[in-house]
Amino acid sequence: MYTRRNQRNLTSSQRTQFVQAVLELKRAGSYDKYVSLHSRYFAADGETGLRVAHMTPTFFPWHRQFLLHFERELRTIEPDVTIPYWDWTTDRSATSSLWDPDFMGGNGRDSDGQVMTGPFAYGTGDWPIVYGVTNERYLTRNMGRPDRPIVLPTKQELDGAIAMGTYDTAPWNSAPSTQAFRNKIEGWTVSETKGGYLHNRVHQWVGGHMIGGASPNDPVFWLHHAFIDLIWVRWQRRHPHSGYLPDKPLSTHDPERGRVLSLDEPMPPFNVRPSSVLDHRKFYSYEE
Amino acid sequence: MVTRRRVLTTGLTTVAAVSGTAAALHPMLAADEPSAHGGSAASADAALGNAAGGTPLFDEVYRGRRIQGYSTADDDRIALLVDGRPLHVMRRVDGSWISMANHYQPYTTPLDTARGAVDVMRHADLSAAPVQLSFLHH
Repeated sequence: MYTRRNQRNLTSSQRTQFVQAVLELKRAGSYDKYVSLHSRYFAADGETGLRVAHMTPTFFPWHRQFLLHFERELRTIEPDVTIPYWDWTTDRSATSSLWDPDFMGGNGRDSDGQVMTGPFAYGTGDWPIVYGVTNERYLTRNMGRPDRPIVLPTKQELDGAIAMGTYDTAPWNSAPSTQAFRNKIEGWTVSETKGGYLHNRVHQWVGGHMIGGASPNDPVFWLHHAFIDLIWVRWQRRHPHSGYLPDKPLSTHDPERGRVLSLDEPMPPFNVRPSSVLDHRKFYSYEE
Repeated sequence: MVTRRRVLTTGLTTVAAVSGTAAALHPMLAADEPSAHGGSAASADAALGNAAGGTPLFDEVYRGRRIQGYSTADDDRIALLVDGRPLHVMRRVDGSWISMANHYQPYTTPLDTARGAVDVMRHADLSAAPVQLSFLHH
């Protein structure tokens, strides 16, 4: 059992510890498999085949297990390290301490989006990009998308999603008509001009690597998804009588059978059932 | 086309193996090596046009980048190129597309999907080697 903290409350040494563990993982050649894996399991709902990571009910448990693996590996390097969470409803600015040079580093520069400050700047030599959709060797960001500005999701928007009493609903996809908590948080159901919603909009707000198929190249990915994980915890607390859905395997006539996983069906590549990770308190708690 | 994925029963000590998806990222060292097809933008054009009965959807210069789109014979799939390099796309259930470059933003047309990718790519190239046609061979 360990504690995940709000990144804004970390001590200076806790910030350093997290950064050093991540850098060591990268140096050892172990970081980039997470970038690759996240991309390989990103399947869309207009294609065929199983979806485990996005546009699917297992969005929350799959990412929980993904973070658990990453965190366990970090803790073999630094036993006290945990993944901090970034509450983007309160730390909403490109100048928040999250982006200071001792932690995530700052925004990308105007000319090419290259992050120039902090431990993940290319100039340090510690953070070369290995797997990328585009061929930059340096980490990129483009906070707030200045050419078509967007803002981070608000507390009001988040509260509206957490208020939804149903975890997920048929046909378990990203369509606007799939009205339940999971789809609302993922945030696919918005127009091209407004950008995404909640989870998706945070990826878009950070910009650079965070909007592509190689988003875990930006270490802030983990802080964003730790907050997404905490949002699931808050939803469970708010709706103690609602659970993960679908709770039984879909019928053989259901077109989504084989495409989404129910409560007790193992999630690849982890071979872990959603039911095994519903209660985070087996692993960690959140300091809120 | 995303198909069956091999389930790993152990942790993540090795990168999970998958088959049949064109979405996989390749280490850029490999991607930067000359294409096995010896491809150029011009030959990509010809090859895509001929592959799988693909028909051109658009071919234009947008923000200084050449973007091309093709549909396959059954009109069910599209192939997009930015400066001759393939931009992998996925279909959403509502018919919209997302590209690997702009992965969290769906667009309703192939042209807007390609433009939306260029919007976020700045001056970078796609890391996929030119002329990689596996995604048309289904």
